[in-house]
Amino acid sequence: MTNILDDYALMSPLRHINNWLKLAIVFFGLLLGVSSTSPITPFFIAFCMSFATVAFGRTPLKFYLKLLLAPAGFALTGVIVIAFFSGSGQELLSFELASYPLAIRADGLELSLLVLSRSLSGMCCLYFLALTTPMIELFAVLKASRLPESFIELSMLIYRYIFVFLEMALSIKYAQTVRLGYSNFRRSLSSMGMLGSTLFIRSWEQGDKLFLAMNSRCYDGKMTLFEVKRSVRAAEMLLTSVYFLSALALFYFTKNISII
Amino acid sequence: MHIMEGFLPTPWWQVWFAVSIPVILYGIYKMNRLVNEKREILPLLAVAGAFIFVLSSLKLPSIITGSCSHPTGTGIAAIMFGPAISAVLGIIVLVYQALFLAHGGFITLGANVFSMGIVGPAFAYLIYKAGMKAKLNFYAVVFLATAFGDWATYVTTSVELALAYPAGDVLTFAGFMSSFGKFAAIFAWTQVPLAIMEGAVSALLFKYVVNIKSDILVELKVLEDAVVRKLRGTSA
Repeated sequence: MTNILDDYALMSPLRHINNWLKLAIVFFGLLLGVSSTSPITPFFIAFCMSFATVAFGRTPLKFYLKLLLAPAGFALTGVIVIAFFSGSGQELLSFELASYPLAIRADGLELSLLVLSRSLSGMCCLYFLALTTPMIELFAVLKASRLPESFIELSMLIYRYIFVFLEMALSIKYAQTVRLGYSNFRRSLSSMGMLGSTLFIRSWEQGDKLFLAMNSRCYDGKMTLFEVKRSVRAAEMLLTSVYFLSALALFYFTKNISII
Repeated sequence: MHIMEGFLPTPWWQVWFAVSIPVILYGIYKMNRLVNEKREILPLLAVAGAFIFVLSSLKLPSIITGSCSHPTGTGIAAIMFGPAISAVLGIIVLVYQALFLAHGGFITLGANVFSMGIVGPAFAYLIYKAGMKAKLNFYAVVFLATAFGDWATYVTTSVELALAYPAGDVLTFAGFMSSFGKFAAIFAWTQVPLAIMEGAVSALLFKYVVNIKSDILVELKVLEDAVVRKLRGTSA
């Protein structure tokens, strides 16, 4: 909780690559991964994106692996449900749990493997974006899109205040913890309530102050951003096209392959 | 209850985007009108969004050890700002959660916004309005609204998953119901206690706010002056 992914993005050398190129790579991977019908393409995408994040983006490998484990809980529950309850083909494994028959069928397993690989490739693409592109860079992209001004403004202000409040919440939590605020269940409930309400009141006051401060500096509903123009280098372009082409080729050739 | 990146297959993630986008646009339209009317509201909405994010990144104390549980905070937002604006705040917070905390994702953003930004807050808001009309105790209403808002979110997520992966591979009503039952039953282990916890924490939160700085709630038209006085047990 103390270290959010944005901190790593600020330190990454890939930060200085053209934003649109990175977004293109990420959304290409996301879309191709989710529309592939065999688990091979998603695994390939996952591997390439992880390699790019760790080798080019200099994310510590141990930290990266830990990150990949984080959403594993949701993935596993979902995949287990799919594996056990879908499919109608040949039974691979069956047993009884408390007199309730459970069976894994071949096509159910196939489907769950596919879902797992898709999620993995999606997570890797997401981590690539999150670990190499700080939010500040993405605001320039948001400005270029034609989303309503107030929406973008709101997202920028929220971004700013996340850090202010995260620090506040952490220090309150430390203070509560050393005073044994979380020593048993009842106390932790009341501590959480207190933490939330203090956070809310302080953020409210902060919002009032923010409005005054911005108004006195001639705020007219628009914050201007300095956008750095970054050209795409030939080597980056080449590497991206090789990746795109090989992924597409793999997608085409493994269309009808099933592993099991 | 974030559906993780890439979990939904092709027709379904587009469907949930198609369902969510009109609601978000309506929310933005409403927000624009509010901002044009009262310009000081934008910074306040911003701190509210940041508040939701921070609240959702805190771990709740949990009876079942090992389960990672965190409040959604959307119930509180719905009570304070209404469901339309909660939806707009919800989509921004969900993008940040995907980018900073790796909860959820871009492809499944539509489905997640639908369950956590639209259905949950709308449900919480309805219960809150009904409860206040029935003149129930304010804290009890907050507890019910947040808990039921959470459950609505979790049921919607199960519906989304069951529609995408019905039993028997072809979408029939029986297959959908069977698969829905299974997803709902498995997620119930964490979600049912979690919603009760969040309800309790939210009720406590409102209690402290009423005691310390009730004029905010009056200003937001969450509570009327007379109700606040009654809750604090003092006469003006």
